[in-house]
Amino acid sequence: MRYSDFTPYDLILLLNGLGVSLGLFLATTIIGVFLAVMFTLVSYYRIPVLTQVVVALTEMLKNSPVLVQLFLVFFGAPAFFHVNMTPVAAATLTISLNTAAFAYVIMRSAIASVDVEQIAAAEVFGHSRWQILTLIISPQAAAFAIGPLVGLMINQLQVTSLISVIGVMDLTKIGNILNLRTLQPFIVWTAIGALYYVTAKILASVGGRVEKNLRRSVVWGGI
Amino acid sequence: MNRLWRMLEPYSGFILDGFLLTLLACICAIIGAVCIGAAIASLRTSQNRVARGVAFAYADIFRNVPFIVQLFFFFYGLPELGIYIGAFETGVIALSFSGGAFVSDVIRSGILSIDQGIIEAAKVSGLSRYKIFTKIVLPIAMRTSVRPIGSVLINLILTSSILSTITLNELTGSAKIVASTTFRPFEVYAMLLVLYASLTYALSAAISAVHRRLNRSMEIGA
Repeated sequence: MRYSDFTPYDLILLLNGLGVSLGLFLATTIIGVFLAVMFTLVSYYRIPVLTQVVVALTEMLKNSPVLVQLFLVFFGAPAFFHVNMTPVAAATLTISLNTAAFAYVIMRSAIASVDVEQIAAAEVFGHSRWQILTLIISPQAAAFAIGPLVGLMINQLQVTSLISVIGVMDLTKIGNILNLRTLQPFIVWTAIGALYYVTAKILASVGGRVEKNLRRSVVWGGI
Repeated sequence: MNRLWRMLEPYSGFILDGFLLTLLACICAIIGAVCIGAAIASLRTSQNRVARGVAFAYADIFRNVPFIVQLFFFFYGLPELGIYIGAFETGVIALSFSGGAFVSDVIRSGILSIDQGIIEAAKVSGLSRYKIFTKIVLPIAMRTSVRPIGSVLINLILTSSILSTITLNELTGSAKIVASTTFRPFEVYAMLLVLYASLTYALSAAISAVHRRLNRSMEIGA
């Protein structure tokens, strides 16, 4: 019973967990968005076999639980391919691919949202496909995609809580440890939930600012 | 493939049990989520400021806190309050609450998209406010929001795998046991991936059918 009270050190533990969660979230977001851009380029240039591979992979990733994907990478891959896998590596790989799958769909629909006439006009002016993508499509597509992408990121922040199941010391895992030691689930889980909530709100406000910035050239005339 | 089947065959009944438990949990949670979602959505569009504020806070909190944290909150917290229920019931309650927050968002935007003229016409016809809401507003809102609700429900099925963390042996939980008895985690989890994908495909086909049925009067040439 001696160690069942809360101690000041628990705050450091919580901050530690928050740091791990945030670090993993940032890393997977950067890798995931990069991968999604690669996937989008593959489908934009309609590279024969790769396009089908990307479509099949993203469909599979979108239609299965992240938890199962984590188990497949963390428990399955080492047994099948005889590779070493640390919890952090497995978590980074899985969440990055998962982010990439959803971001890819958003980016593709953003490209599809640009008027076909504009592209036809650019082709008439003799622009190459790369020039069309970088000069004409991407500025408009970015303004379209930023809202859904911020929504996706807030969702992915919550998905990172699942990595506690394979033993990464993130915020949820710290919550588990504190819960088992103090046996005060209400206080512990409320605090953990509040930390996630505040982080998500900060993320949303930053995203809103970026969106406003990207959209300042898009004048919405109303319907 | 044949060798894989021979290895998994003794466990197929066990996996099937898990599959049925997942199915049962999802059906209960879907019903709960749609009911809670409709109730919260009607509060969020009400004239009463307090009701609106409470409903908004509910949806905001349940959408911005990870499901696993909510689940642990219920699983460890409810016994503190003297409510002793099993892991299955806890899981269904948590899934319904968190699903309800997302469903309420969809139904709310369905309600807000209704033409004001329809409501005015109903008022002129002398219908009570309750009748207007249940007989006119809600059916139209449900009809327009079938597809977005469908994607929320698919997400709910995928989220149900998290119930394995509170000792519930649903599909993921039983697959975990099989993986650790056969020492073939890769094959087992790959099979699990395919099972979940087929479950979500089945649900999206069902949603399309419901969408067609509810919107049958909208079809051109119908």
